Formats: sequence, C-alpha cells, structure tokens
Amino acid sequence: MKKWLCIALALVLCVLPLAGCGAQAEKEELIVYTWTGYIPDDVIQAFEEETGINVIYNSFETNEEMLAKLENTNGGEYDLVLASDYIIKLAGDKGLIGELDKEQIPNLKNIDPLYQGFFYDPENKLTVPYAPGIPLIVYDPSRVSCEITGYSSLWDPSLKDSIAVMDSTRVINGFALKTLGESFNTEDLDKIRQAGDKLLTLAPNIRLLSVDQTHEYLLNEEVSVALLFTSQVALALQGNPNLKVVYPTEGLGFGVDAMFVPSQAPNADNAYAFLNYILDGKVGAHISEQILYLCPNQAAYEFLPEAFADSLKITGSDIPNGEFIMDVSADAAELHNQIYTAFKAACGQ
Amino acid sequence: MKKRFLKKPGAGIAAVPLWMFTLVFVAGPMVYMLILSFLTRDPSWGVVNEFTLDNYAKILNPVYAGTYLSSLKLALSTTAITLVIGYPFGYFMARLSEKWKKRLMMLVVVPFWTNALVRMYGWIIIFRSNGLLDKLLMGLGVTDAPLRLLYTYPAVLVGMVYALLPFMILSVYSSVEKMDWSLVEAARDLGASKARAFWTVTAKLTLPGVLSGVILTFIPSMGLFFIADVLGGGKFMLVGNLIRDQLFSARDWPFAAALAVILTLLTTLFLWLYRKITHVRDLEGIL
Repeated sequence: MKKWLCIALALVLCVLPLAGCGAQAEKEELIVYTWTGYIPDDVIQAFEEETGINVIYNSFETNEEMLAKLENTNGGEYDLVLASDYIIKLAGDKGLIGELDKEQIPNLKNIDPLYQGFFYDPENKLTVPYAPGIPLIVYDPSRVSCEITGYSSLWDPSLKDSIAVMDSTRVINGFALKTLGESFNTEDLDKIRQAGDKLLTLAPNIRLLSVDQTHEYLLNEEVSVALLFTSQVALALQGNPNLKVVYPTEGLGFGVDAMFVPSQAPNADNAYAFLNYILDGKVGAHISEQILYLCPNQAAYEFLPEAFADSLKITGSDIPNGEFIMDVSADAAELHNQIYTAFKAACGQ
Repeated sequence: MKKRFLKKPGAGIAAVPLWMFTLVFVAGPMVYMLILSFLTRDPSWGVVNEFTLDNYAKILNPVYAGTYLSSLKLALSTTAITLVIGYPFGYFMARLSEKWKKRLMMLVVVPFWTNALVRMYGWIIIFRSNGLLDKLLMGLGVTDAPLRLLYTYPAVLVGMVYALLPFMILSVYSSVEKMDWSLVEAARDLGASKARAFWTVTAKLTLPGVLSGVILTFIPSMGLFFIADVLGGGKFMLVGNLIRDQLFSARDWPFAAALAVILTLLTTLFLWLYRKITHVRDLEGIL
C-alpha cells in the first residue's frame, strides 16, 4: 500500500511540470533571453495583458553563456536578447543579430541620442539601449579619513582592508590603467604589465571582490569604500543618503546593456511590439525606477520620480569623458588575464 | 576482464546501463576535455582546430601554477582538520546504543537537506561584522570591536571543514561499526595497554574507513571553489576559480580544459600516493 502511494506520488511529481503547457500552445509567443529579473515582472505582465502575447523568460548567468547558446542555435530560438555592449559587438560580427524593422517600432524616436551610435551598433540599426551605466566610487565619509577624488585615492594606506570592488578583470585592470593615464583598451603590453604591478600594491586595501550586491557590503559596514555599478550606486544611496559618490577624475568607464533581435528570431514581430512598448515614456520611466540604471528614454524623463531624477539622468558632458571596455588583441587579453589572476591571489595573501 | 563478467550469467546485460552511463557521462566528457586542451583559442570567440601545447606551457607560469599550490594547501588543511574532528566523532558514534546511533546519524545527515550554498550564507550571518559571533563576543566583554572574521582564510577553512565533515564521520563510523571488537579484547587480554590496543588493532582495522574519508574530503576540496568565493570574498584564487574565470570571463576554453586535465592528474596522483603509503587495497566501497 505504502509502496503504491510512493509510486503514485513520484508520478504526480514527474507530471506536474508539464501541467499548464497545453492550454497556452495556441497563443502568440515572445521568447526573451537575459539575466534573471532584469526586466521587471510587472512590465512583462502589463505587456501580456495589452497585447495577448505570451512572454517566455529564459535567463542566462553570463554574457558568454548567452553567446554560446545563440551560436549553437544559429540565432534562432530566441526573439529578444538583452546583453552587454562588448558581447553584442561579437554577436553582430558573427551575423547573429537581425536588423530592426524600424517601421514597427515608432517609439524608437524616444531614445536619447546620447545613448546611440556606439561601437557595437554605429548606425543604430541593430539595438535598443536598455540600461547604460557608469561604475563609480562610493564611500562612507564617517569611516574614511582620507579624501577620495579618483581611482588613485584607493591606494591610500589608511584604507587598509576596507575596499570592495567588483570581480571583473577588465574593470579592475581598467581603473589601474586609468591611474597611469592609459585607455582601458590599450594594446601596449608594457602599460598593462605596469598596471598589473600597480594593482599588486593595491591588494592589501581590498577586503573583498564581489560578483553582485556590492552595495550591501557598504551598507552593512563590512567595507567603507566600494566601486559600484550604477544600479548599486542608487541602491547604496537609498540605504544611506550620507554616502558620498565620486566621479573619478582619471576618467569614467561606461557600459550599455542593450536589446537586440537575433537574426533567425522565430517571432521577430512580437519582439518589435515589445521594444515599442517599453520605449513608451511612462513604461520606460517605470522600468528605470526599478532597475536603477541610467534612463536612455528621453520621453521618460518627465515621468521619473523626484528621488531618482538626478541619479538616473546624466548630462551630455559626462559621456565623452566615459570610455567603453572593448575586446583587445589575444596577447593583451592574455596579459590582462594574468595580471588579474596575480592581483586576486595577492588579495588573499 | 571478460571472463570475470561472464562468471555470473546475465551480468553482462545487466551491466549495460552502467557501461553506457560511464561512457556517456564520464569517459565522453573526459575525452572531450582532453582534446579541447590541445586546441587553440580563437582570439575573439570559441576554439580553432589547431594543435598546440601552449595551454600546458601556460600553466607553468608562476601566476597560474600558484593556484594549484593554494588549492593543495587548502585541501590538505581541510582534510587534516576533518580527520582530527571526524575520527573521534565517528568512533564514539559507532559505540553508542542503537537508538542514539540513529539520532546522531540523523543530525549528521540533516544539513544535506539544504543546499550547500545556502548553508554557507548561514556562516556569513555568523561571521560578518556586527554579526552573531561579534555580538556574542562583545556582549560577553571578550572583544570590544568587530573582529572582521569574514573574508579571511580561517573563515574559508571553517566553511570547507563544515561542508565536508559528514563524509569523514560517516566513513569512520561505518568501519568502526563493522569492526570485530573481540580482537581488541584479545589484545587487552594479552597485556596491551588501552592506547597500544587502539594503535595496533583499532587504528589498523579502521584505516580503510579513514582512507575513504580522506578521499571523500580531499577530492572535493581540491575542486570546491564557491566556498572560497562566498566566505573568502573572492580573494582566494584556487584552481577551481581560475578554471571558472577562464571559461566565463576570459573565454579561453582550451586553457580551462588544460587546467582541468592537470587537476584531474594531480588528484589521481595523490590517491595513488595514499594507497601506496597506507597499503590499503580495498577502500570501503569507493575504489
């Protein structure tokens, strides 16, 4: 009797995930592929209600995973992909991105031209910017005794064991290069080597390298200085308004996560409908105030809530100062890899 | 080989799923990894079918070779500590009454019901600045400022030992439980002291259990890297971290494969050494 009950239960568990599949098979579909939770749920729901299109949200962990999948399926299987600038460039070079049908996306006019014409899509034919950002230094003035003006301030001996940085090879190597007055994307191997040596002397000040939620460490006083992405800067300030934000004098980094429609997208029309929907001013503002990246939608500016109006918009003068991190030659990439591994190992000493 | 299989009629066919599984999920990926490790990386993305030994040559670079050393150091210290804690635990557990054995066994196994990563977050709550431990120590007046325990080597070590201790306990337990106690009694009857009886009889008889415990803790601890990430704040560069970085951020798959091949070889070498040193042939059901 018990045995049968067990078998029956096991069967039910096996069948459970299949339930609910049948009912929606007829509906129009839109298969979105991006990081978990990057597109707010309520935006997706509202879109589904308005258009009757069923959105299927597939997620990846890293840009690299996304490109590998996209390559395996030859640009098919997904209708809309949201990923980072440098990987979009790679995908575009491989012909995996389809040209946008601008007729179907009248709201394209709402995009702030500040966020267009970048290296991954110079003619604005392939992508829609979704989340632009600038990594900044944020610190707690009550627990820091030195003055922080830029990346070089992080080397101050008074900051021993009190800095959190994002665990990202090119971002960290990049700011060391900036302190040497170099570009993030320099091909000069000697300069990269110098940056590596410089990073080794920063190691004693690093308390942790974090993959995400870096602002949390600042808020719970695990560290007093942190290098944060845009959304984290906003969250940190929300948690503690007394924190100070520094725009490093050596130069800013800049990155854009953008959306594109793969070349063989099965439901490209639905993807255009979705792009048009999120480019609406009100919807755009609603997205930006949730994901807390810069708002690339100029029609949305007037709808941004007071509290974030400043942190979600930047002035045109900041952009020329910002530099993208782009792919470098194999030799430079290998050296980046090496100096970063050495830096991490030195942090653990 | 074939003859041994045919001894029991039907064993050949019954073993087919086992062989299929081994081929598809063990041998297949290993061969794939081995081939990949000799190919060349495409500068932008993916792999080019060109034979090279560069990936292995690169491992000799002190920056990369050093990650093996730190992994080895962490694995050996983890194994040593689990042995010191796990042996007495397993030993005394085996000597309890049936009722208490069951209860204790339950307590050892219960943590496995929760995901290991989640359990590591538990340690964060204990270790973090102004966390449980800090509050306790400061409340008792032992310390007067947060100890900054998190993101240090000892924190990583605690996490590793915590995650792997049950394997040691259970291995020791099973070999102590099976032991023939009349042999110890005989040694005592013949005049051996308690300590001597333990060393000459109990320790020798439970060695296979200890060894399987050592292997079950040593092998995973060579590869476990999320604990070093979560409790060490990403500062401890182990081979596992390096392989992950090569796969997901540097996009150098052949190098990652070469690192993994060497890791596999190193681990195998260590297993072989253990067996040589301890002269144990049959490990409690794992080799």
